Amino acid sequence: MGFLNPRALRWKIAALAAAACCAVAAVVGFLVHDATRERGLRLGHDRTLTRLIAAEREFDRTGKAPADIDVRTRAELPEALARDLAERRPATDGGYATWYDVDPPNWYWMWGAAAVGDDRILVVREDMSAEVRSLQLLDRSIAKSVLAALVFVVPLAALATEPINRRLRHGARTARRIADGDLDARIGSAGRARDEITEMSAAVDDMAGALQQKLETERRFTADVAHELRTPLMGLVTAAGLLPDDDEATGLVRDRLRALNALVEDLLEISRLDAGVELARLDPVPLGELVADVVRRTGTDTRVDVGAAEEVETDPRRVERIVVNLVANAHRHGAGPVEVTVTGARIAVRDHGPGFPSDLLERGPQRFRTGASERGRGHGLGLTVAQGQSEVLGARLAFTNAPDGGALATLDLAPRPTA
Amino acid sequence: MTSNAQVGSVSEARGPAPVSVLVVEDDATIRRAVQLALERYGYRVDVAADGLDGLEAFRAGAHDLLILDVMLPELDGIGLCRRIREESPVPVLMMSARGDALDVVAGLEAGADDYVIKPVDTGVMVARIRALLRRATFRPDPEGPAAAGSSGRADHVLVFGDLSVDTLGMEVSRAGEPVSLTPTELRLLLEFAAAPGSVLDRRRLLREVWDYGWEGDTRVVDLCVLRLRKKIGSGRIETVRGFGYKLVRG
Repeated sequence: MGFLNPRALRWKIAALAAAACCAVAAVVGFLVHDATRERGLRLGHDRTLTRLIAAEREFDRTGKAPADIDVRTRAELPEALARDLAERRPATDGGYATWYDVDPPNWYWMWGAAAVGDDRILVVREDMSAEVRSLQLLDRSIAKSVLAALVFVVPLAALATEPINRRLRHGARTARRIADGDLDARIGSAGRARDEITEMSAAVDDMAGALQQKLETERRFTADVAHELRTPLMGLVTAAGLLPDDDEATGLVRDRLRALNALVEDLLEISRLDAGVELARLDPVPLGELVADVVRRTGTDTRVDVGAAEEVETDPRRVERIVVNLVANAHRHGAGPVEVTVTGARIAVRDHGPGFPSDLLERGPQRFRTGASERGRGHGLGLTVAQGQSEVLGARLAFTNAPDGGALATLDLAPRPTA
Repeated sequence: MTSNAQVGSVSEARGPAPVSVLVVEDDATIRRAVQLALERYGYRVDVAADGLDGLEAFRAGAHDLLILDVMLPELDGIGLCRRIREESPVPVLMMSARGDALDVVAGLEAGADDYVIKPVDTGVMVARIRALLRRATFRPDPEGPAAAGSSGRADHVLVFGDLSVDTLGMEVSRAGEPVSLTPTELRLLLEFAAAPGSVLDRRRLLREVWDYGWEGDTRVVDLCVLRLRKKIGSGRIETVRGFGYKLVRG
């Protein structure tokens, strides 16, 4: 969530504050505008009538209108004024007609008319532009104040959401860490705030706790089962060793026993890796020598090229586990020739089979899933073990398919560049 | 408690005196199967079913090597190993169903020379037994490197400060007092004595002393060094972080 993300919560809240600010300003502005306009009209109206009454008196006294007052016939009157005048009755309202003549932008006149004889009408025109001008000024200053307020309110609102944002971001980060396997991560409740975010954080923490407990129970169960299997398996392995060597049945028994043994060992190893108790024991290791020796001991037909190998600070027993599992996987699920190449601190194991299945490429090794059926049989723990061991080593194990076909697994033991 | 230690039959004994091994294991099948398997390799095998019986059987007969299970009733393998170490430097191989670091470390700290994890293939176990026995009967070549770099006195006595190592008589003494070392500890010390002052890495020690390849666990080296230090003085062998150990000359 970048600061500039327009959909971030902070900008939404800022927009909300701005909208509220504008709405309040619009209502208040409208009321003020209306009241001021009313008042201006009433003043103009009063001024017009005052002048009209004075002129009428003057006309009554002298028979002449003052110089600034027109005397017109009914036909010379503007139509609207004439209509208004026709409706006036001297008995009730003095017979004074008014008409506000507006033609924006700069024609604002208040007309007043009073009949003083047959077809002799006094006509007064009062300029209203001063009122209109001041009303426009008022509108403008209201708009300016609103803008000025927004300049403060929007950033203030954006800043005021920062603590909330920070808590939400912290929550999201923590949830992601839990999803990535850090089951000890908790959001926690910082500060004294008791709001919905605290409630959600507590709920997420509870969920993480329950998840952790469940996983731990499962892991312990796996470990216990595998562990309990070891004692009978030990008796079986030793007893099978006593069977006559030249019997075909002995071969079958021993072969399956080896498979069973490997499965139990893998299960135990995975539960240890899951428990996170495994620690790498680092030693300076000539990688080429190690890999060549390990591959030779697998007894498989595997080509090894360690020409460009380096000495690496690593745990050779774990590297051995990884390489043995990768090579075994290549032979079991891929097709020959299987090639192991060591370049610097990188070990590449490549076969010429159908390649890794797509869901392994996307999601990494999954327990007890070999993906596509054409990858053949196998319990699918070997690659999980390899992945787990490479994590203990702080190495990177990547599964890809070579451009010209075949699976390619690369173990990079070079220390991560420190940021 | 009745002793059910039994004496295994001698079969296919090679040479005049077969090597005798005591197996202490509570699981009856494993006990019997290991006994039968080792007898096929020509060892004379005694067995015991729990820790106290094991101790009794050990005291009753002179065994060349002991194989102890960690999980034993009455007295566990670690306690048994510790008791035996008080009396004898006989080679001890621990057999653990747990690969847990704690178990392995506890066994090695108690004085075991090596360990195997159940289930163990008979071939692998025999290889470990042979490596242990080779150490127990180890005699350095008088012309070899161990005897070469001598300083004063007889050629075969090496002196490092208050520590003297007689590479012919296979005797070690500290400030005149004899020091009792197990064959593995002695073999390790001789490895250091052959190259005093130079750093020996764990892998090399594991290969030379324990006969392991890359599959060996370097913790056995660390813990044996720890035990050796207790006996010959903690400053005698220095840790070189990230590499290994070296013997201090003076």
